[in-house]
Amino acid sequence: MEGMAGQKSSLAWAVNIAAFLLVLIWTIPTLGLFVSSFRDRDQIASSGWWQSFSGSEQTGFVRSGTADDQVQQDGLYVIEGSALEGAQTLRAWGTGARAPAQYQPGDTADLGDGVSLTVAEDGSYRMTSPQPFEMSRGERIFTTTVSPASFTTENYNRVLTAGGLGRAFMNTMTVTIPATVIPILIAAFAAYALAWMQFPGRALLTAAVVGLLVVPLQVALIPLLRLHNDLGIGKGYLGIWLAHTGFGLPLAVYLLRNYMVGLPREIIESARVDGATEFQIFRRIILPLSFPALASFAIFQFLWVWNDLLVATVFLGNTREQLVMTGLLRELMGSRGGEWEILATSAFISIAVPLLVFFAMQKYLVRGLLAGSVKGG
Amino acid sequence: MKTTLFTTAAIIGLSAGMAQAQLVIEPGSDDRINWTSLEEFAAAHPDLEGQSFNILGPWLGGDQELFASVIAYFNDATGAQANYSGSDSFEQQIVIDTEAGSPPDVAVFPQPGLAADLAEKGFLRPLGEETAQWLRENYAAGESWEALGTYAGQDGTEQLFAFPYKADVKSLVWYVPENFEDAGYEIPQTYEELKALTEQIAEEGETPWCIGLGSGGATGWPATDWVEDLMLRTATPEDYDAWVTNQMPFNDPKVVAAIEEFGWFAKNPDFVAGGTGSVTATDFRESPAGLFGSPPACYMHRQASFIPTFFPDGTVVGEDADFFYMPAPESGDLGQPVLGGGTMFAVLSDNPAAMAFVEFLKTPAAHEVWMAQQGFVTPHTGANPDAYGDETVRRMGQILLDATVFRFDGSDLMPGAVGAGAFWTGMVDFVGGASAQDVADQIQQTWSSLD
Repeated sequence: MEGMAGQKSSLAWAVNIAAFLLVLIWTIPTLGLFVSSFRDRDQIASSGWWQSFSGSEQTGFVRSGTADDQVQQDGLYVIEGSALEGAQTLRAWGTGARAPAQYQPGDTADLGDGVSLTVAEDGSYRMTSPQPFEMSRGERIFTTTVSPASFTTENYNRVLTAGGLGRAFMNTMTVTIPATVIPILIAAFAAYALAWMQFPGRALLTAAVVGLLVVPLQVALIPLLRLHNDLGIGKGYLGIWLAHTGFGLPLAVYLLRNYMVGLPREIIESARVDGATEFQIFRRIILPLSFPALASFAIFQFLWVWNDLLVATVFLGNTREQLVMTGLLRELMGSRGGEWEILATSAFISIAVPLLVFFAMQKYLVRGLLAGSVKGG
Repeated sequence: MKTTLFTTAAIIGLSAGMAQAQLVIEPGSDDRINWTSLEEFAAAHPDLEGQSFNILGPWLGGDQELFASVIAYFNDATGAQANYSGSDSFEQQIVIDTEAGSPPDVAVFPQPGLAADLAEKGFLRPLGEETAQWLRENYAAGESWEALGTYAGQDGTEQLFAFPYKADVKSLVWYVPENFEDAGYEIPQTYEELKALTEQIAEEGETPWCIGLGSGGATGWPATDWVEDLMLRTATPEDYDAWVTNQMPFNDPKVVAAIEEFGWFAKNPDFVAGGTGSVTATDFRESPAGLFGSPPACYMHRQASFIPTFFPDGTVVGEDADFFYMPAPESGDLGQPVLGGGTMFAVLSDNPAAMAFVEFLKTPAAHEVWMAQQGFVTPHTGANPDAYGDETVRRMGQILLDATVFRFDGSDLMPGAVGAGAFWTGMVDFVGGASAQDVADQIQQTWSSLD
């Protein structure tokens, strides 16, 4: 293995290609979601996002004008209008649902009783009759059209202007920030103690923390809420911070302890020889060296709390004043779901802050790594 | 530093004000609404000023706003403050909250089965014989409604625990009137005519039905509604009641016959759009789109009153699309059965304002205010049918009022493992090719294993 570091592996290109393919595969769903967020509901229901870039043939119908729109010309009653909208082009048209493409553009159809209908190439139609029209609802003109690719920002408009979004954003922030900071503070102390301080039962304690990792949080919801109610905390921010802290701690302690245990023993021992107290060692040596692990856990915890709906609905309640972002976006989807366009749009709106945090933390992550590699040896 | 970033972010805002619900219709202004009932209610509850309580329910989005508009009248009349919050995971949340000891004061149950569970554990407060009698007298098919809210309490005595308010009609067949007109089809008046029409459409080379059972994890539920509707049309209401409580086993010949009746529609490739294979593959939300295709993929779609939400944008119900009552058999022995759903209000605390809210729901005005808006049908015979905001909903309300037999969605009444499990998957298997008898045996086996 020693010789590997300097050697350039002949399989490097294969690794690169594999990595590239993996990244591509991983990003395709995100891309699809992104494209879908710019399409309206009917488009999503009728075709896949990958088909949205090319023009598509559609069949549908438009309604002619009603009796109110008729004018008298040369003894005939005439209703005129356009059967196309926007940049569509007409392929065929018809007057009945069973034969929606019976006529070519420019043809004239006989509707009986002397009524005739002509639809021209440019989509303009002209319906004429010797007697006055009496219908209050327009006749259906079935069209087969080709429409160019079209996208809309209406979904973003709808989500961003939803009532209470600002409030929900603040609620999520109020939940997320303490729920990220508190577990890091506690876990850093605990991890140092488990990694570097000598006391009886240390290994058992570490094993217990690892064991807690496998406890699903769902089983703790009812007992924990009951405890909060008994203690008088009830449902509120304090309750949810405590809950998230508790649920996040096992992973935090485990991650940080494993990282700290790998720090070079010489530094710590020389600090001890120099007379540093445990707290000084932790504060001045361990903490700065552990920045990469702290940053990566912060990202984990922030993302988890930011995206959480379950813990928030249980420990915070879901009245208007307490609703978090995920709860509000869920509300926008309506009682029966199925609004994919809102789902896709919400995903991209709520991803903004976690991305910001990720890039902000990324800086510390890199700096921390460098610091470790230079001083560590 | 990250801390400064965090604190600045945390300091921004807290300014977003709470939207105060307004009275959507000025009291006294609309004579379709029985304002006197509201005034009488206010006079009877003078001492609730300043009380505040929570209502938890399953409604979100549009329904939530509409319900808030009704609550505003309660708040206005009593001076109390009712706060509604909706949850998409109501079924889980109400259990967590009651078990943990922080229940809402009032809960809105979409399924009677869940309310019955909580009543048995002693979490619900009985509403009293007076309210039970009121239901019998003032709701169409009142005894059916009373039975829905009557459960065994902690001590085993049967009492009324939940008050039905807001109904859904499920026995509806949706169609496009112009397509019917073009093809010369008549709306069937009897169940026999419905089957004859189905055959006629198929003989003409068209497809009569769109059936979609897909619904993510709940795939199969639309078929349970079909079977329940057909059960009410092939067996007596008493058989139906025996079936949903398992006094009559699931594999009884009557139930098997109803499942086979559904198979007559869904398992004939000429009768369903896309063939039998697409029945389970099509999402129930996308299924009605076939009605509006050109040429139409199908002519009829059986689904509850909520489905217009999933019609293409711009569809005008009553003109572009319409519904008819899923007709009853010609013989008339089975009456005019209506399958429906409804939400049940239950009180979970000793807050006097919470109990008063149930009284408020008895006033015609509490029904009429929502009727005048949208999406609300009620079996309350005292509520003015003219109050319905549009003709379509009024006709749905009429179906409820005309019902001689009203039965709740059976799968919601069955234990969860059956009604929201084995029955769903069984229907998927059935459409996929299994025989009705095998499927019924399997479901009964699951049910038997629960005890």
